[in-house]
Amino acid sequence: MDRNRSRLFGGCALGLVLALGLMGKPAGAQDVTDQRLLNADQEEGNWILHHKDYSAQRFSTLNQINAGNVKDLRVAWTLQLGGVEGGGIWSHGGLEGTPLAENGFLYVTDGWGSLYKIDTHGGQGVLMWKMDPKTDHDWAGAIACCGVDNRGAAFWHNLVVTHTLDGRLIATDKETGKILWQRQVANPDKGEVVTGAPLVVHDMAITGVAGAEYGIRGWIAATDLNTHQELWRTYTIPAKGEPGSETWKDDHDALATGGGSTWVTGSYDPATDTIVWGVGNPGPDWDNAYRPGDNLYTDSTLGLDAKTGQIKWHFQHTPNDPFDYDSVAENVLVDVNGQKLALEADRNGVGYAVDRTNGKFVWALPFVKQFTWTKGIDPTTGRPVDYDPSKGVQTYVASVTPSRTNKVTTICPGNMGGKNWPPTAYNPTLHLWYIPVIESCNRITVEETIPGKSFKPREGFTGGGPSDPIRITGSVTAIDVTTGKMAGKAETPYPMLGGLLATPDLVFAGQPDGKVMALDAKSLATLWEFNTGGGVSAPPMTFTVDGKQYIALLVGQGGAWDKWFIDSTPDLKRIAPGSTLYVFRL
Amino acid sequence: MHFAKPLAGRTSLALGFFLALSISEGLVVRAQTAPSDVAAGQKLFRANCAGCHKWHGGGGGGYGGDALSLRKTKLDRAAIIETIGCGRPGTGMPYHLRDAYENGACYGLKENDVANGMALAANNFLRPTEIAAIADYVIANVKGRGEPNYAECVAFFGTGSRVCNIYGDQRTAGAATK
Repeated sequence: MDRNRSRLFGGCALGLVLALGLMGKPAGAQDVTDQRLLNADQEEGNWILHHKDYSAQRFSTLNQINAGNVKDLRVAWTLQLGGVEGGGIWSHGGLEGTPLAENGFLYVTDGWGSLYKIDTHGGQGVLMWKMDPKTDHDWAGAIACCGVDNRGAAFWHNLVVTHTLDGRLIATDKETGKILWQRQVANPDKGEVVTGAPLVVHDMAITGVAGAEYGIRGWIAATDLNTHQELWRTYTIPAKGEPGSETWKDDHDALATGGGSTWVTGSYDPATDTIVWGVGNPGPDWDNAYRPGDNLYTDSTLGLDAKTGQIKWHFQHTPNDPFDYDSVAENVLVDVNGQKLALEADRNGVGYAVDRTNGKFVWALPFVKQFTWTKGIDPTTGRPVDYDPSKGVQTYVASVTPSRTNKVTTICPGNMGGKNWPPTAYNPTLHLWYIPVIESCNRITVEETIPGKSFKPREGFTGGGPSDPIRITGSVTAIDVTTGKMAGKAETPYPMLGGLLATPDLVFAGQPDGKVMALDAKSLATLWEFNTGGGVSAPPMTFTVDGKQYIALLVGQGGAWDKWFIDSTPDLKRIAPGSTLYVFRL
Repeated sequence: MHFAKPLAGRTSLALGFFLALSISEGLVVRAQTAPSDVAAGQKLFRANCAGCHKWHGGGGGGYGGDALSLRKTKLDRAAIIETIGCGRPGTGMPYHLRDAYENGACYGLKENDVANGMALAANNFLRPTEIAAIADYVIANVKGRGEPNYAECVAFFGTGSRVCNIYGDQRTAGAATK
């Protein structure tokens, strides 16, 4: 569809929206319907879901740019965005988003949740409109543990649906950029913020929450996009008496502040109508003696009934976690060897495959070079081999594990992982799963948490903190999903803070020093590299316009690294904040 | 020195030894305290300190480490200035003077003494006058205070944000008390 036609349809769609009193479901030929979302992988030139499709494979079949010609990849155009300003405890915002692409138009967000529509026809990028949600910078920024971040948008019919750091869900008209409605989903007064992109399933927007460092009780919520009302909210920490509450064995109501945030967008399995979503660390992070028991459903992958939010199954990775090894990462849904798998690269440094129909463990493989917190993963149960079900407080490898008797200790991987939020990618032809790795150790200092005294609203509730005197690097590590064995590791001088894109014979990645690279999908050899001149902490994506393939990437250091973890990469102090969209072509 | 808690007993002992040494002349900034210094100090505090010590200076756990409370600190002005400039080796408290460890000005230590990562450099270095302004702000508005309240919060953030909502029920409590 050409640009003018697209605009014409946009105008028609807007008219219909207005006729419906801004309440009904907008319609039009450009509608992003449930059917289109279900078949997103078949829209080769578009990128209409946060993770490309519901399986979260981040694999594009586009191959105009390939191993034979990627050496000729160059900048097509750039566009300066906004959102660099600070707020709360943050001196600047950053970019962690994945652009959406539909028919030659890109939709991107900056860290404060402003949404930009960009016309990419004709080999250039032209800003069509910007929606500024007027995020309350200090209210949200003072309790955002890990940066001024927003990871992107979602489509629903003729709306673009986004979150703001201060906890709102916003529906914007795709053609005009006008806010049609908004809803407060999270409450910053409770320490809750929202950084992930919404996941639209059926006619619902699914929201995850951040705040496990501030004593929240985590949840996943579904908003009906037709009525703007909440359909369900599933807490990731059970209430007293509910299933799972028996895994909180303390006598001081630790589950009320148990953490379990859900700040990375999940995936969806239409065959079983199951939303697969990761859950973060328990709180306080490093004082696990405060919360004896396995602490369900922290550090778990959940399978949720999409219509009700009911937990159908769970798999927990690090029971009674004393490391801050959360499991919020996206689950990649793949079918191999007749098995329907959900793959999760955990912050604890282990890649897991579970049966996504029931949560049963299939295989696990440590993917980091330094791995000290456990002696290994039980190949039958998937539990750490040193997990002791008779203990309320797990010690794992006791000489390493932070505890009230081991108050200063070095853990590997460090508390950032392993692998953090930056998404993996999967090549379904090669059956290779690519993980953006933080090759790390860091130092944890434990501070005992006192019941009735330590928790205060909007104050850190962590039971200690990390420091980073040890150099941290990175890698792109490939796992053969048919065998569960490592297939390759391309080491990088800096941690992987931005995520990956897979195409038939390439893997694209960015580094926090500004370098963007294309690796050979099989050998992981670097075939192309370009220095953007700014910190990369966002995933690349690809799309077509005017019949040509492009690679797009947001550049502008976001996240927690330059504030909390920079001592492990001191030369990255030279990288200044920025906010630029880069688009590459042959 | 109580800006951040020691990470190891050995470090603590070593630090104690160095603290017994006299503070270098070059580090002590004898600037006069003026109202403008306190206002400037608040801006600098927000940009450089509030991430770990929180807006109210009460410190506590977090990704910035477990920063100590500046509300409860016993340090005097000179010691605060020294701690900001030199950091606290062996803890998460970074040094903010660019040349803190080049000439032995801090605890008699030089770069090789702290090359193992025990002394951490701040993201942004500060001039001595800026460090003095922060110290003046801490003494005037933070040190010795009780629990944070609405008036203090609004004085720090202004009224344009909901950041002080949670202290709303204290609006009638009046100004902060020492």
